Parts: sequence; C-alpha cells; structure tokens
Amino acid sequence: MLSHKKPPNIIEIQDVRYSRGKRAIFDGLNMNFPRGAVSAVMGPSGTGKTTLLNLITGQLVPDDGAVLFDGKVVCPCSRHGLYNTRRQIGVLFQDGALLTDLNVFENVAFPLREHTRLPEQLIRQIVLMRLNSVGLRAAWQRMPSELSGGMARRVGLARALVMDPKLIIYDEPFTGLDPIAVGVILRLIRQTNDVLGITSIVVTHDVAEAEMLADLIFLISEGKVVASGSPLDMQQKASSMVRQFMQGLADGPVPFHYPGTSYADQLQTMSRT
Amino acid sequence: MTRSLQACWVSFSQFAATFGGFQMFTLRLLPYLPRAILRPRLITEQIYSLGALSLVLIMFGGFFVGTVLALQSYSTLLEFGQVDALGAFASEALVRELGPVVTALLFAGRAGSAVASEVGLMRATNQLAAMELMAVDPLQRVIVPRFIAGVVSVPLLAAIFCTMGVLGAYLVGVHQLGVDAGAFWSHIQDRVDLFDDVGSGLFKSFVFGVSASLMGVYEGYYAAPNAGGVSRAATRTVVITSVWILLFDFVLTGMTMPGV
Amino acid sequence: MSTETRAIDIGVGLFILLGLGSVVFLTSQTLGSSGLSDSTSYTLHARFDHIGDLKVRAPVALAGVTIGRVSQISVDPMDYQASVELRIDKTFDQLPIDTFASIATTGILGGKYIELGPGGDEEFLQDQGEIEFTQSAILLENLIGKFMVNGTADKDD
Repeated sequence: MLSHKKPPNIIEIQDVRYSRGKRAIFDGLNMNFPRGAVSAVMGPSGTGKTTLLNLITGQLVPDDGAVLFDGKVVCPCSRHGLYNTRRQIGVLFQDGALLTDLNVFENVAFPLREHTRLPEQLIRQIVLMRLNSVGLRAAWQRMPSELSGGMARRVGLARALVMDPKLIIYDEPFTGLDPIAVGVILRLIRQTNDVLGITSIVVTHDVAEAEMLADLIFLISEGKVVASGSPLDMQQKASSMVRQFMQGLADGPVPFHYPGTSYADQLQTMSRT
Repeated sequence: MTRSLQACWVSFSQFAATFGGFQMFTLRLLPYLPRAILRPRLITEQIYSLGALSLVLIMFGGFFVGTVLALQSYSTLLEFGQVDALGAFASEALVRELGPVVTALLFAGRAGSAVASEVGLMRATNQLAAMELMAVDPLQRVIVPRFIAGVVSVPLLAAIFCTMGVLGAYLVGVHQLGVDAGAFWSHIQDRVDLFDDVGSGLFKSFVFGVSASLMGVYEGYYAAPNAGGVSRAATRTVVITSVWILLFDFVLTGMTMPGV
Repeated sequence: MSTETRAIDIGVGLFILLGLGSVVFLTSQTLGSSGLSDSTSYTLHARFDHIGDLKVRAPVALAGVTIGRVSQISVDPMDYQASVELRIDKTFDQLPIDTFASIATTGILGGKYIELGPGGDEEFLQDQGEIEFTQSAILLENLIGKFMVNGTADKDD
C-alpha cells in the first residue's frame, strides 16, 4: 500500500530554469515552502518575483526543472488538471483585481457561482461569513470603484478564501497602503493562515512587514535564492547582499548607478556629436 | 523615399501579423461556442449592453438616412417621371446596402469600441488574470458571450435600421413630397425581393456582425495592459472594423448581386 | 431576481421583439399581401414558345390586378417550349377553361408579367390545370428589327 502521508512542503520548486528571451530569470532555483507557515519571498525589483508566482500557478512553464504542488507537478499540459490545482490556490493580486462590473458580494460569490451549484441560501451564508472575517460585511452592496485600496484588497482576500484553498499567495499586499490598512492586512494574513490552517506565500519587498509577519523569508537575487531563514536569522546574515536589502542601503551589490560607461566618457562622446 | 517604403512595409507586416493572430484567435474561440448556450444569462446581459443600448442610435440613424434618401432621390426620379418608384428606390438601397453597412459602422463605433476598451481594461487591471487563477476561463466567461451577443445583435439592429429608414422615406416621400401612398408601397412590393434583397441584406449584416464583434474582443483581449494600450484597442477596433466592413461589402455585393 | 436583472431581461426582450418585428415588416412589405402558400393558392400550368425575360415570382394579373405569381419556369425537352407554373390565389378559382394567358410588359422597358384574359366557357380551370391559349412575349428588339426591315423595303418601292 502506498502511504497517503502528505508531503511536508506544499510547494517544492526543484532546480527551475526560466528565461525570457535571452535573459535568464531563474537559473537553478530551489525553494521549499513548508505547510502551515507564512513564507515571504523578497528581492530587489526585477528579480522575477512575479514570474515565480506565475510559475507556481502554472501560467508559465519552466524551461527546466519542476514545480510541485502538494507532491504533484504543476503543468499546463492538461487544462483540467491545471484548473484543478488552481482551485486549491487562492491568489490575492496587488490591487485586489476585483471584477469591476460586479458588486462586492457578487465578486466574492464569483468562484462559487462558477464552480459549484450551491443553493442561493448557502452561497449567501458563505459569502457573508467571508466578508465578515475581513470586516466588510456591511459593504456588500458597494461597487469596486467605491472602495479604497485597502478595502479592495480585503474583498480580494475574501474572494481568494471562498473556495477554501490550501495555499494562498499574496502579490505585493502592502504596496500603496496607509499604515492602518497595512496593519489590517498584516493581521488578516496571519489570522487566516493560523485559523484556517492553510499555507501562505507573501511576495513583497517591504522588509519591516515581512519581518513582522513571516515564519520564513526567502531572498532572491539574480535568479537564485541568496539567503533564507527566519527573520531573526536574516538579520544576522553577514552577506553584503542581504545587508543591503534588509537595511535598505542605496549602494552595494545592487549598484546605485545603472551600469554603463563612465560619466566622463559619456560627456565626451555626447559633446562630440 | 526609402523611409516611406519602409514605413509601408512595417505597416503591411503589422497588418499581416494582426491578421494571422486574429485567425488563430478565431480558431481558439470555436470550441467554446457550443458550451456558451449553457449560460444564457451571460449572453442576455451582453445583448442588453451591446444591442439594446445601441437601439436609440440605430433608430435615429436609420430614420434620417431614410429621409435623406427620399429627398435626394426625389429630384432625380422626378426628371424621369418615376416618382412613384421612390419607395422602391429608397427601400432597396436601405435593405441591400445602407442598412447593413451603416448599422455595422455605427455598431463598431458604439459597441465594438466599448467591448475593446472594457476587455482591455479587464486585462490591464488583472481581472482576466484573476479569473484565470480562479480556474475560470476568461474566453468562456468574458469573450464568447460578448462575441455571440454581437453576432445576434447586429442583424436585428440592421433590420430595425431598415424599417426606420423605410418609415422615414415614407414620411418624407408621402407626406411632404406628395408621392401616392399606395404607389409607394406597391412599388416596394414589386421591386424589393425577399431573398435577393432582404435575405442578402441580413446575410451581409450577419457577416459584419461577426467581424465587428470578433475585432472588438480580439483587440481588447490582446490590448497592452496600460492606458495607451486600452485606448489603442478601441481605436483600432473602429478603424479596422470599418475597413473590413467596406471591403467585405464590396465582395458580398459582387457575390449576391443578381446578374453580376 | 433583482430589479436590475429584470430590467435587463425586459430591455433584451423588447430589443429582440423589435428586431424580429422589423424583419417581419420588411418581409411582409416585400412579399405584399400575396404571401402565396399551398393552403391559400392553387397551381396552373401554361406553355409558351418564348417567355422573354419573365422571371420566377413575376406577377400574374387579371385585368391589371395581381392575383398570383409565377412559381416555376422550365423547358419541356420534348417540344422545346417553356413551361411556366403559376400560383393563383384561391379566391380567384373561377377562371373559365378557355382563359387566355399572354406575357405582357409593364411600361415600355419594364419587367415582364403574365396577363390573363378570361374566356367565356362555363367550365372552370381546376388545380394543376393547363391554360391552352397562350401568347408569347413580344420581343421589342424583334419588333424594331421588323420595323426597320419593312421601313427600308418601303423606300425601295
């Protein structure tokens, strides 16, 4: 008999290579996201955090290597299998990505209406419960255009949770929010993760929030994981890359100046023409 | 000189690329069509916003095209002593040509561009990606209902346009220019043929409806995800659809004209 | 069902009704009152030496009033005559058996139609009956040709 023990990591990224055009974005990326934990994926802009998200959800296919969800390879080879996987993953986009022609209630009800044939009564109960858990039950009739950025994200979270996913991925959840809204989102991520017993991956470049929130931090740079560990570990890492990012230094391994010829050279060549 | 040639080549190859992508898109859409019947609600919503909301524009347009047609043709017909044929002249022109063509052009401007910018905005604001990640296929949920609604709406709009046009011609011809009402209708009966004229007009507007709606959803679906991309999608929809409609009209007229 | 979806339903319903109504309007105006179906019409046959450019759906008139349409045109391979099928409105089912059919022209250059001249017989034509007395189309170009030949011949005298 095969044992049905669940693998300890909900997502395993095994030696993934991915390049766009000639530029290699990931070159042998290895990551394991443990079940039940909040993991933060951090890194300077342009290191492919969004690409990583797309690889996990099967929107992109790695050139080499594999992405495993719950022990199974995520692969767009069969639309059915892929959609089955996606039903178990909730994704919260940066701006919530609410459907603008539906109100808050219908937005949260959307996955239920598309995937289930539940009676209206039950849908109403589920949706109101989810909206209540993000504190927006009273706003159920509002249209997305009438919501603030933080509220839209909370509705997006309610929608991502409505199908009871095993994993929820947050894409830049703190960007462009006021401190109160950031606090609300922080609390919600932690609460959802622990209360519902799911796994969370937060893609962000907000160091302070990631340190407050995450059980595990991955720092990606130039297509590889340069450091990983608990927030405390990361503080103590000696590597200059980690220090620059975690402390927000302007110059370091990631240079302040866009690479090119020297200032003097450029002035000379440009004055000649 | 070489620069303008180069520009020509670039725009031509762009056109060819668009055309190729367009065909691929059409082929991808085909298998979705039968399943769309399972969700009639989505289609009715789109028929409402594309067809029913275009109604006032179409009726207005049809009515005034009909009146102008009557006024214009009256003096010419008077010269040949054929004023009685005013109704036949106006309705044949409306049913065969002006109805389908003008309706499709107005539809492209009113509804095609709206579809393109709506879908483009959904792309730009990650709504399509969000659907995809909720395991909902945006082609099935967003694109196909809009396409079908357009294909259903355009022939109906064209028929309404023609009817309003004939009524407009009747009002001007009979009540203002003094054409005999009986002669007006009997000449229409005599001259306008159900299959050759009304049938070919409806067929034309069906073809135009397919091209206008397809262009709108295509441009929106592949719009660059930013403000410029969305506005470009709307503009391109109107421009390319108009060119196509006029081109198709020439081909179809050649095909359906008796004795050509 | 919310009021909004009801409004959409009503709008779409009205729109489709209006559209179909327009199609019916256009259809009825082009077919006129003589939408001749099997139940409201009967068939007659007539043979002509030449039918000119008579077309299917051309009117069949009695004393200038349209009472039917040409429904089919074919050539009889045995005697090379044109065989024309006419559908006549049932209300005009008392055409004498010696009714005369000729191909006439509306105006000088207008389209061809069939004009019926009723005879005096007591017996009436039945469904699928044959009109015996027919006159072919007068071809304008033949007339002009004859006139010109005659004209020149006169001068030679």
